[in-house]
Amino acid sequence: MIKLTIDGKTVHANPGDHVLDVALENGIDIPHLCHHKDLFPSGSCRMCLVQVEGAPRPQTSCGMTVQDGMVIDTKTGAIEAMRRDIVDLFVSDHPLNCVICDKNGSCDLQDNAYRYNIQETSFDFELSRPKYYDDNPFYVRDYQYCIMCGKCVRVCDEIVGANAIDFSGRGFTSIISTPFEVPLAESDCVFCGNCVQICPTAALLPRSKIGKGREWEMERRQTICGYCGVGCTVEYALKDGKIIYAQGTPDGAVNGEFLCVKGRFGWDFNSSPDRLTEPLIRKDLAYELGLTDEPWEMPKTSALKGKPKLGNFIPVSWEQAIDITATKLAGIVQKHGPDAVVGLTSARCTNEENYLFQKFMRAGVGTNNVDHCARL
Amino acid sequence: MSAIIRLGMSTSDIAAGAEATFLALQSAVRHRQLPVEIKRTGSLGASHREPVVDVEIDGQSTLYGPVTPERVRPLLDQHFGSGGRGVSSDWLISRRNDRSDYPFLGKQVKVTTRLCGLIDPYSLEDYLAHDGYEALKKALKMSPEEVVQAVLDSKLRGRGGAGFPTGIKWNLIRKSPNFPKYLICNADEGDPGAFMDRATIEGDPHKLLEGMIIAAYAIGASRGYIYARAEYPLAVSILRHAINQAREYGALGKNILGSGLDFDLTIKEGAGAFVCGEETALMHSIEGKRGMPTMRPPYPAQSGLWGYPSNINNVETLASISSIVLNGPDWFAGLGTDKSGGTKAFALTGAIQRSGLVEVPIGTPLRELIYDIGGGCADGHDLKAVQMGGPSGGCIPANLMDTIIDYDELRATGAIMGSGGMVVLDDTVSMVNMAHYFLSFTQDESCGKCVPCRVGTRKMLNILQRLLAGRGRMTDIDNLRRLCITVGQGSLCGLGQTAPNPVLTTLRYFEDEYMAALEGGANGNVQAQLAAEVTA
Ligand SMILES: Cc1cc2nc3c(=O)[nH]c(=O)nc-3n(C[C@H](O)[C@H](O)[C@H](O)COP(=O)(O)O)c2cc1C
Ligand code: SF4
Ligand code: SF4
Repeated sequence: MIKLTIDGKTVHANPGDHVLDVALENGIDIPHLCHHKDLFPSGSCRMCLVQVEGAPRPQTSCGMTVQDGMVIDTKTGAIEAMRRDIVDLFVSDHPLNCVICDKNGSCDLQDNAYRYNIQETSFDFELSRPKYYDDNPFYVRDYQYCIMCGKCVRVCDEIVGANAIDFSGRGFTSIISTPFEVPLAESDCVFCGNCVQICPTAALLPRSKIGKGREWEMERRQTICGYCGVGCTVEYALKDGKIIYAQGTPDGAVNGEFLCVKGRFGWDFNSSPDRLTEPLIRKDLAYELGLTDEPWEMPKTSALKGKPKLGNFIPVSWEQAIDITATKLAGIVQKHGPDAVVGLTSARCTNEENYLFQKFMRAGVGTNNVDHCARL
Repeated sequence: MSAIIRLGMSTSDIAAGAEATFLALQSAVRHRQLPVEIKRTGSLGASHREPVVDVEIDGQSTLYGPVTPERVRPLLDQHFGSGGRGVSSDWLISRRNDRSDYPFLGKQVKVTTRLCGLIDPYSLEDYLAHDGYEALKKALKMSPEEVVQAVLDSKLRGRGGAGFPTGIKWNLIRKSPNFPKYLICNADEGDPGAFMDRATIEGDPHKLLEGMIIAAYAIGASRGYIYARAEYPLAVSILRHAINQAREYGALGKNILGSGLDFDLTIKEGAGAFVCGEETALMHSIEGKRGMPTMRPPYPAQSGLWGYPSNINNVETLASISSIVLNGPDWFAGLGTDKSGGTKAFALTGAIQRSGLVEVPIGTPLRELIYDIGGGCADGHDLKAVQMGGPSGGCIPANLMDTIIDYDELRATGAIMGSGGMVVLDDTVSMVNMAHYFLSFTQDESCGKCVPCRVGTRKMLNILQRLLAGRGRMTDIDNLRRLCITVGQGSLCGLGQTAPNPVLTTLRYFEDEYMAALEGGANGNVQAQLAAEVTA
């Protein structure tokens, strides 16, 4: 255990811990823009500089490991003045379009401008990278808002492993870019959108969010993603009952803050008019069971060809549907034996559902003919 | 009669036309069937007189320059023919072997550049004839600890700019339990106007190699890299050639000179980014990544190239090693001051009469270097200031010329020792312009990683531009000072941290010029002139 003093408070830490993390855990707020607990520190935003007793110049707290007996002041007058200047510099090439900005309310730069009471830059305002890319169905990149924190580059490298983007160019006009500025689809991007998730500004935004409401109007609902067996925690931002965008949450048990392309962007089925919301049975069977007066015959061509016609089905209650299925299934088993039946289930079901289904097939129907779509 | 004619063929000689001189010399010597050996050497350092020709007959040397092709014939007549009516005293540099008749050369104390201009850089025999690889043999008989101790005792400090004591650095990596260890030579030399490292490599490449091999032995490195500036094709090809020679000689590779030491070297060429001279950026560049600095700690000695312990030294630092080992640490320490031993090479440029590469003992007063060696300002102008350390350094005004060349003394003036760029500014130069020139360089070369440097230097530059154009605002000087602090204290790496130095020092010593600019703008065209001088 290492003991150090931050802002007069004695705190404990483990060897190898970084000062910024230790301070945040102990409720000592040090401003920061490029730090993320799951990424290696980069020290690029310079907001987390602190004064360490005995050091000749301010030190970057995100990358500094704790030492026993360290005495740290996080808010000397000189350092607070410097932080203010740094935010001032950030907003000197970042348009303060907060009123119309879709990041308004969840923007780290805005929060820091508020904290240091900066309404506009005191230097010359000058756009450094007015580049806008709208080259894929999932997210847009508007680099005039980029503050070059590099979080997107690091998440793509350290977490995703795709390395689709990196710093490019030099000096004032340097920018985050795919190799040779190719469109994202031609790069190694896998469209997981984890960069969008951790971008502190409006530089990276989900397309679905643009113009669809203010952050504070949205309701948040957490659930487990239904796509695969990993079971990532996903949080939907909803407005008027409709999903606006999806994101990970920092406390997600298995996935942390990160999601894949399906979990993050593949939720439009949720409010699709094509979605089934009640049990349906085919009309010929319904006629046979006396549920309708209209006779109907299955066409010879496959139903899978062309658009499915819901008019060939009629809605029934869940009781009726289960009843019909059970009767039909029992008839087949009685006539042809249990091995005439095969059960296929889905990766999108939960473990528990899949367990119950195989139990049902083995113990109920009496066959081992049970499989799963993930095997295909 | 034994006669050698030496002709400087370094990059700067070639720029001055040495190739044409060489062809003229070669054909004339052949034509006259003279019993003369023509040796193509590196640069003697006297850039202001290049191309330089040294005629040595029976051990007596006479130095000429600039020797244009037309001057070859009278020169040969003088020494090997009918007599010397055609030789003008204007192009005679020195008649004495010790050069005491030409202070530019006579007043220097040469250690790392001792053989530059004397030997053929492509000839290992030449190097061996001047005690070449004797230091290595001596070092291999010492223990690695003893070598490190010798470097500690020599009081050698890093010549790359920051002046960190080399022995302490070596001790740190030597003690690391992790292997392999890497030795890296920083030959990126990015300061505009600096060419000390280039001249050292082009004049005496084996001296660098010998220093590196001794260093590798001392710190326990098995592999070395020389990170060479992309714009140095001649230096790189000379180095390649020398590395192959050293391998054949047995000084590189497995079981070096039968000692059991294994060490080999690779050259990595940069791609023209100034920031790649910064050690962490340099290592990323060798790894094939974008050359961007990262936070320290971890220091290279802890986790450097590919995460292994690494030691980075400048060319001049490493080129000093063989002399330390051979002549003893006390001799080296004795050349310099109490805290800092040896000599330092400078690229003397700007408004100086005698420009070129000069090497002087640490502790030499600036006055001696500027006036005795450099001959003062050219064209009868008065000295205004000396800019040291290039874009990371600062200016020292004329009234502080008694300051001695020493890391701490120079730092006290606001300038730095730097890697050796020294630009002499005369009374025609606008200091605001000067600051603008260097700041526009750093602003351009910022890697873009951190905001004080990326945006802050830009804002500083905007202010300087405005002042120069006579459109200064009342808040400008205050904002400039504020930015100097934020950029200098807040930036991540040395590039940003030192970028405000030219502004800070000019504000300190020449504030009146800023005030005058604020009121009425500065004389406009000096900027272009200065740029031309610095890069000349
Ligand atoms: C922006 C920047 C550029 C640098 N360029 C060089 C260079 O061109 N050559 C060099 O030797 N050192 C350069 N350095 C210093 C190196 O980072 C490093 O300190 C040095 O190579 C260490 O060698 P030394 O201990 O022998 O001085 C540079 C530093 C910075 C911050
Ligand atoms: S795009 Fe966003 S995450 Fe990436 S560097 Fe810019 S501000 Fe940071
Ligand atoms: S100080 Fe400049 S060069 Fe160094 S890391 Fe920051 S932006 Fe890059």
